[in-house]
Formats: sequence, C-alpha cells, structure tokens
Amino acid sequence: MASAEVYPASEPARWKYLDNIRTRAGPLTNPDIFDGQVVAQNMENMKILVIGAGGLGCEILKNLALSGFKDIHVIDMDTIDISNLNRQFLFRQSDVGSFKAEVAARFVERRVKGVKITPYNCKIQDFDEDFYMQFQLVVCGLDSIEARRWINAMLVNMVDEEAVDSYKPLIDGGTEGFKGQARVIFPTVTSCIECQLDMHAPRAAVPLCTLASIPRQPEHCIEWAHVIAWDKEKPFPKLDNDDPEHITWLYQKALTRAQEFKISGVTYSLTQGVVKNIIPAIAATNSVIAAACCNEAFKIASNCAPCLGMPGENNYMMYSGNDSIYTYTFQHEKKDDCPVCGNLARELVIENPEWTLRELVDSFAVRPEAQLKKPSIRSESKTLYMQSPASLEEQTRPNLDKTLKELGLTDGQEIGVTDPAFATVSFKFKLKFKQAAA
Amino acid sequence: MTEIVTSQTPPILHGPSEKERKYDRQLRLWAASGQAALESANILLVNSGAGTVGIETLKNLVLPGIGRFAIYDDTVVTEADLGVNFFLDDACLGKSRSQSLTALLLELNPEVEGAWYPNTEATTLAALLTTSPTFTAIVYTYPIQQEHLSALAEYGEKHKTPLFAVHSAGFNSYFKISLPGAFPIVDTHPDETATTDLRLLAPWPELVSFAKDMTKDIGNLNHFEHGHLPCVVILLHYLDQWRETHGGSYPSTYKEKTEFRRIVQNAARTDNPEGGEENFDEAVAAVLKTVVSPPLPSGLREVFEYKRNIPAEQRSGFWIIVDAVEQFYAKHKCLPLPGSVPDMKAQSKVYVQLQNIYKSKARQDAGEVLQIVHATADGQQIDPAEVELFCKNAAFVKLINATGGDSSARISSSDRLKLVVDQELENDENAEAMMMPLSLLPIYLALQATSHVASASEDDILAEVAKVVPGANQIEKIVSAAKEVARAEGGELHNVAALTGGMVAQEMIKIITKQYIPIDNTCIFDGINSRCQVLRL
Amino acid sequence: MLKIWSMKKEQQKAENAEGAAGGKKKKVTAAQLRVQKDLSELSLGNTMKTEFPDPDDILSFILYVEPDEGMYKDGKFSFTFNITPSFPHEPPKVQCREKIYHPNIDLEGKVCLNILREDWKPVLNLNAVIVGLQFLFLEPNASDPLNKEAAEDLRANREGFKRNVKISMSGGTVKGETFDDVRRPR
Repeated sequence: MASAEVYPASEPARWKYLDNIRTRAGPLTNPDIFDGQVVAQNMENMKILVIGAGGLGCEILKNLALSGFKDIHVIDMDTIDISNLNRQFLFRQSDVGSFKAEVAARFVERRVKGVKITPYNCKIQDFDEDFYMQFQLVVCGLDSIEARRWINAMLVNMVDEEAVDSYKPLIDGGTEGFKGQARVIFPTVTSCIECQLDMHAPRAAVPLCTLASIPRQPEHCIEWAHVIAWDKEKPFPKLDNDDPEHITWLYQKALTRAQEFKISGVTYSLTQGVVKNIIPAIAATNSVIAAACCNEAFKIASNCAPCLGMPGENNYMMYSGNDSIYTYTFQHEKKDDCPVCGNLARELVIENPEWTLRELVDSFAVRPEAQLKKPSIRSESKTLYMQSPASLEEQTRPNLDKTLKELGLTDGQEIGVTDPAFATVSFKFKLKFKQAAA
Repeated sequence: MTEIVTSQTPPILHGPSEKERKYDRQLRLWAASGQAALESANILLVNSGAGTVGIETLKNLVLPGIGRFAIYDDTVVTEADLGVNFFLDDACLGKSRSQSLTALLLELNPEVEGAWYPNTEATTLAALLTTSPTFTAIVYTYPIQQEHLSALAEYGEKHKTPLFAVHSAGFNSYFKISLPGAFPIVDTHPDETATTDLRLLAPWPELVSFAKDMTKDIGNLNHFEHGHLPCVVILLHYLDQWRETHGGSYPSTYKEKTEFRRIVQNAARTDNPEGGEENFDEAVAAVLKTVVSPPLPSGLREVFEYKRNIPAEQRSGFWIIVDAVEQFYAKHKCLPLPGSVPDMKAQSKVYVQLQNIYKSKARQDAGEVLQIVHATADGQQIDPAEVELFCKNAAFVKLINATGGDSSARISSSDRLKLVVDQELENDENAEAMMMPLSLLPIYLALQATSHVASASEDDILAEVAKVVPGANQIEKIVSAAKEVARAEGGELHNVAALTGGMVAQEMIKIITKQYIPIDNTCIFDGINSRCQVLRL
Repeated sequence: MLKIWSMKKEQQKAENAEGAAGGKKKKVTAAQLRVQKDLSELSLGNTMKTEFPDPDDILSFILYVEPDEGMYKDGKFSFTFNITPSFPHEPPKVQCREKIYHPNIDLEGKVCLNILREDWKPVLNLNAVIVGLQFLFLEPNASDPLNKEAAEDLRANREGFKRNVKISMSGGTVKGETFDDVRRPR
C-alpha cells in the first residue's frame, strides 16, 4: 500500500477536530511510535470488533464511528426489549423484537457517512479463532461475566509470540447504576479479565434451607418461588424470565408465601428484579463508560497520546457517581497463577505420529520441566486417559494402546495434563508433530 | 408520576404499565418520586463552540424522560459538526444548528418536548430568558460570549436556577456547578454496607422485654431455639450481663469490646451437629460495629451548624425539620431511629416481631419530630412523609455548597482559585511520596484561559493563566496542559465530549431528583490518564 | 504498545491462509482443565463411586454414595453432577436422583449443603463437595431443613426418625409420602 498518501485520507473539513489531535503530537505523545501522516489512513484500514449492542454497545458504535474508524463489526444475539429504550438510543418503540446488532448497525451507518458496520446476530461462541484473528482491536460492552471470560480466554490463547499481529488489545466496560469501570487488556502482557475476576463481587446467595424453612425477607419468598415452588409445580414447561405470565406466576407464589409469614415488600417489580438479576442502568453512566473505552481505543489506534495498559502503567479505571464523582485509575497486577494468561500452552514435539497414547503418557515422566509420573490427559472434546477416578480410568484404558492418529490427535492440537503430584498446577501443551501425519 | 396504562394488553395482577416497563432500569435507581421530578424538569442548553458536549448531556436527559428542553444555539451546521456530533447528518448542513439538533434529539423519546432558539419569537438569548417559563436548570458550554455568560448568571441568581458550565476541548474537559444556595439532600442512598443504628446501648422498654423474654432461660433452650436467637437479642442479653458485672456500664474501650466479643464467642454452642452457631457468629461479627453510641455524623453536624441568613432558607420545610431533629437530638442524645433491621439468622416469626418493634419505635420517634415541626411557625404545612423520610435518613443527610447564606462573607471566586492553586501545587510536590495522583487543576486553568475565544496558542493560554498563577510558563505541568489545549484548537473529541456529557447528566439528575450526592462543585477530566478530580472552586 | 498495526497486514493474511489448512483446533478451557484436575484428585474410598455416561464429557457425571455406618447404612444413593463453564466460580449443580426421606434433601432431590450455594468458593474442589454429601448421611441436620417433616421428626424423636428412615429406604410410606427403595442388594 502506498504510504505517501496525503492526510487526512478523506473529508478534511469534516474530520477537522479529530485531525487536530490525531495528526499532531501533543506534549505527552511518544514520538517513537507516532506518525501523524499515516494515522487517518491506518485507522480507516483497521477492523475493529464491538461485542454487545446494548446500553454500552450503542454508545460504543456511535463513539467509534465518530473517532475515525471505518470498518466496524458488532456481535449481539439479543433482540430489542421495551426496557432497553431508556438508554439504548439507537432503538425506537417500533424496533422492539428486532435484532440489536442489526438495527444499531443500520442506524449508525445511516447517520455517519462513510462508516461500514457489519452486524452478527449471534453468540460470540459461534465464532472461532480465524474469525477473531481478522480484527486489530476488540471493545466489549457486555453484562455477562461468562461472555467476558470467554472472549478473554479466546484472545489470550490466540497470542503467538512470533506474530505481532496475534496480539489483540481488549477494551472492556461495565456499568451498574451510577458506577462503572473501563479497562484495557493487552493479552498476556497486562493482567487479564480472569486475573481481575475478584473485582466482580459475586451475587450473595441465601441458603436453600432459609428459603425452605425460615424466610425473613421479600427476596427470600421470591427465591423460594423461583427455586423451589417452580420445580415442584412446573406450571409451564420451561421458565422464561421474559414471559410476563411466568413472572406473574412467581410473583403470586411469592406473595402468598410472604403473607403466610407476614413478610411485607413482595412486588411485581422486585420479583422481576430478583428472578432476572436486574442491574439498574441509565444512559448517563453508559455514556461515561463507553466513551472511556473508546477513548482508549482511539489512543491505541492512533498513538497520538499514551493509552492505559502500557507495561507498568495503569490499566483499570473505576468510576463512581453515587457520592460526588470519584475515579480511581490504577494498575491491576497480572496474576502468575491465572488459569488463563498464567497457563499458556507450551509446545510438545511429537517425534513420531505413530506413537501410542501409552508412549505419550510415559514420555511425560522424563520431561525436564515437569516429571509427571501419573499424568491424566484430555483434549478439548476427548478424555484420552484419566488415572482416576476408577470408572473413568477403566473407560479410557483402551485408548492407551491406540496411536495418537487413531485418537484423532493432529498437529496443532491442544491437550491438558494434570497430575495429583502437582496439586496447584496443570499443564497445557500444543502438539507439534515432527513429520506431518499423512 | 408514572401513569397506569390500562389499554391493549390484558392487565396482569399489579403488573407494570408500558411506561414503567420502559423506565424500569432507572426506576430501580430513583423510584417514582425521582421520575416525577425529572418529568417536570425544563432544561435550557445554551450551546456554543464545537457543540457536542451539551448535546451529549441532553441526550442522557431526554432518554430517561425529562419534561422538556430548549436549545439556544445561533450557529448553522457546518461540515466540521458532522465529524463530531452524532445528532446531525448531511441533510442538516447549512441549517440552524439548534433546530437540527432539536429534531434529532426528539426522536429519542416521544414523551419529551423540545424547542429551539433563536427563532422568530425570541431572537436573542436575553429575549428567550425573559419570555420562557422558568428553567429548572441551565447548561451552557464554552467558549461563550461574555454577554451571554452575564445574562445567564443574572438569570440564575434571580430565579435560583442551578447553572452547569461545561468546557470540553481535545482530551480535556471540566464542568462546574453553580447552585443558588446551600443544597441539602435527604435521600442520599448511602452504601448498603453503611451501618444502620440498632440502638443496642440505649434499648427502649419494648426491645428490652422482647430480648429478656427470649433469653430468660438461655441455658436450657434446645439447640434449635438457641441456634435461632437473633443476633440483636444475643447482644442485648450479654450486654445486660456485662453491665451487671461492670457497675452498670457498657463495654466502651476497644479492649473491653474485644473482651465482650470473646464472651459472646464463648457462649456459642459447639456440641450440636453443626459444631457451631451461625447466629452467634453474626453477633460476634457485629460487636465492633453495633455496640456503639453512634456519634453525630459529620454530614448532619454540618447541617446543624450551618448559618442560615436567607429568609427563604429559614422558612423551607427542610430547615424546619432540621431544627426539630436538632431538638430531638438534644433531648434524647440520639437521632430518630431509622427503623430498619438488617437480615439475620432467626425464625421467620421472631424476625418479623423484631422488625415490628424497630418499626414502631421509628414511627414513634418520627411522630415526636413531627409534633415539634407542627409547633413551629410555618410548620403546619409540612408533609408528614417528608418528616418521616428525614428521620429515616437523618444519619446520612448531606449539605452541598454550604457557603453560608451571607454573600458578603463569601470569598471572591478569583481569590478562592488562587488559594486552591497554591494548595494543589504544594500537594503535587509530595504527590509521588504519598502515592497520590497529580492535580488536574492545570487542565482547568488552561481550559479556562480559552473561555471566550474559539482557539488559542500555547503562549496565549500561558499568558492568560499567568494572571492567576504568576510564572505559569515556568511550571511544567501548566505548560504541558496549555500545549494539550492548544493542540485541540477549540475542537472537541467526541469521546471526551460524550464522557463529560455523561457526567454532567448524572449530576443534573442528582440535582433535579434531589437524590444521591452531587459534586461540590467542579469536576476536571484528563482523557490521557483517564481520571477525574473534583475540586471546590 | 508496539507498532502493532501498520504494515503487517499482508504477512498476517498469508499466515492465516496457511493456518486455516489445519482446520479448527479447539482449546482446552480453564473450567475443563480444573475439573480434570479435581477428578484426578478425588478420594472416593470404598463408599463412593462415579459413573460417566459419556467419558468425553467430564462436566456431567453421577456419584453413588453407599454409607457404611449411620442411619442410612445399607442404602445406595446417587447424585447427578452438572458443572457449568463458569466452574470453579460457580459451584457444581448437584441433585439427588432418588426420592428419599432426609431433612436436608427435599422430595425433588434438592440438597441443602452450604458449600453448594452460599459458601462456595473457587478454592473448594469437587472432593470437598463429595465429602459434604457423605457427611449428610452420617449427620442429618434438623436445624435448617429442606424437608420440614423429616426435620421435625428428627428433632422430636430420634428413634422414631430412625424407624422412618428404615421404612422409607425400603420403599415404604412415611406420613403419606411414598419413597424410593434405595436398599443395596446384598
């Protein structure tokens, strides 16, 4: 590609304010990595992935489109609900029921000329490494910890130290009421979402026996209806949290139980809140957090000012607006024992693909980094050999005499190895066949 | 107030209305009372400069459903607007910016009304301010004409309207709130972990007899009963025992409390199937936090000590209730009981009884305060619900902008700025040693230097800052801030405008709903280091 | 951070094309690896055993408990274990497959064991859970029950409760409720 192209790549009048900043160094700009002449062009060529088209996602799409990104992709499996309209400003009453990613993408494309947004109305788990490899940056606005952990593990595992393009910075935002956080993760370099799991307070659970025999709070009555009464009476084949009829059933059950114990405070709204674990959300907070995330994306992509997440620097911004405004921007330390970024797969050279599993198992006993006398081995989808419990050992014993090829193990496959002698660690290996199996 | 829509879908038993469903996620934060306040709010935005931060603020207010807004903006839409403002598109080029923005903002929420100026009815800001119904709050953005600024300040003073001044340029921004006087908040939504007063050291007869009755034969209770004594009852029982052996006094020093905690710990049974008792664990954990006579909270003390000089303040319901609570406190040496009881291991029936004992005492205390209120001049009209809310939250009541009503006693704002500058620069010298981040005041100074000009060079900015901080061009952080502000040439970065607009909207919501605690009074944002600082300027 | 972007695109495309030939290789997840480790450290003794309906799916299995002492001696009880991808941040879901008379297990098979719910921590492992289950049969707890009737019987009259356990375990009826026969063949 010709790099002598003049900046900005297109429409200088329109992007005047942006170019003021991104094409000229400021006092804190690192001159070694900044080149104002090519920034606009580089950003236009970048593919950026947005995960989530909800409260944060709508803001993120708008912000990225107005930050100079032109090729934006967005994944969200959800459809629009009426309760989204108080903050998800790309949606209208008439959009209720349509896919969020689809509607959001079309809206921003219409509003901001020259931006292409590709929607995917599905789950992030529907895509594999090849899909994620095409992007240079990932920005997440999710409400589920599970999805965050999934994409985090994906991006960390994609890192190939030999290929600089396999590092995909992940920027993640989250909100609750007037509070939120924005963080930047450079996979395997900074602390990752798994390292930071302790930043999410787990939802306090009430003992089942309290629900069953000594309820005291309206929430106890609702949880009882949800966990115990529903299973016992099964009024509908499957509980759908979004079906008002189902919520009403739970509400009435909870209300009756509350009356029985003279507990006050069970309402429809509380029932819905407890059953769906509703987190309060407003436009203003989404605006703050999404913009904090996109500001980092802009700095990473343009190098026109230092971003969060540089080695040894801050990578996490906490924001709280309940009592005045308070931000705490700090460095969250990487955890050496992190099950995701502290345990990357090492290469394991297989001298001969005709090896039996037994030969592989025995080979671990003499490997220098860990002499595993009783290794148990699995791949992602197959239990190859487990030393215990007895029933699994028996079931997997026949595999020992099969060759790796027969067991479907091929070049590049990842396996997990555990050994009771190493109580605190487990190992991941990526198989590398010496002579490619024919 | 949210209305009940009864049409269309068959109503489910006490199910939510269409509007309650739409606003569900925010009603969980500020309830119907906060929503009602928002819906009757009328907001004016005086928009200038690059013009994005004010619109992002309004977006965040239109979505949750303010009653109405007006935009005053006398510019036309240019190409540069389209690269930074989401609520404009190609079709708007060359048209009135306020008209275009209003149209696209109104799409966000059909329940909100909006108007744009200048138009034929009001051709100037002055005309708009004299002809419009009173505004609940006004936001204006920098750079602004001096003449507009004076008109707004005068309006704010006259109508007691909160003013929000906002400036966003490049990676930096700040906003400043000017409130018409001291601003009290009763419904502060304290953190859930904040302890409620259980008054264990000053129990009233009903509570005493309830606890005594449950523990009179504590040694002979079966495992089930013993393991379900509420921790409040356990603590009251052993406190009573302590007093008997300590000449009638309660454990007060740290040493005594740890000793007391050990006594409670040792009273737990371990010969049961579980090998311990959860309720005793709860009691042990609660000793240091609840076995105290709570001191007068600092926020409330500030309210009590606040010197009121404006007659309007003196007559307001809030201050009449404050006086009544102060009398109550003087008489009883404690605040009215909040009345809530945290969840604790107990049988359902016992817990509900305990709850009722606390609730009825809280009602009694609130009743006593109400009586005092009613006996005051102007106290008759005060809503008992307002008194009850105050009593419930008394420990967490907060006063913002507590300058004292006497304006002559107020320090001039430029003198105040000089004081804060000295202090912040001094703090910075020790910042590294104290592991504290550096002051963001230089950003404020640099932005403020461009309050009335479209753009300025580094030297212009430093010359302006030097009027407040002599030798500014020798102070590295100020020079750096000036460079960064100069780089923007008055232009906004959308992200920084959106972030700032989010913060301003949060603050406006807090002030309109009188819930949660607003900043006092300036918030500075640094988009390079991604952090804020709040200062009183 | 590095100059990740600029000119590396073409090179990357070439590498991708090469890598794609090998087909998609799924990675071992953190949850799977943790379960694998927990399983290889289980100490089942002679009163418990596992059964894996699909040995390749180690996230769901059945645990059999055969108490050799206490009131539930000579019974054979089974529990389904279902482990989510959020393990160990979420506890395993455990349910008793038989309808039994027990103060801490309800008629639908729900189990009230603190570490299966409110007291679960990621540092706990599957062994802690099975030890807890075993303990329930040795020391049924009447204090905060799931099956109120059984708990009241245990509180009021331990001998009567023992008789009821015997009756219920042989498929008999206690207070109008008929239970599953869980006696193990001798």
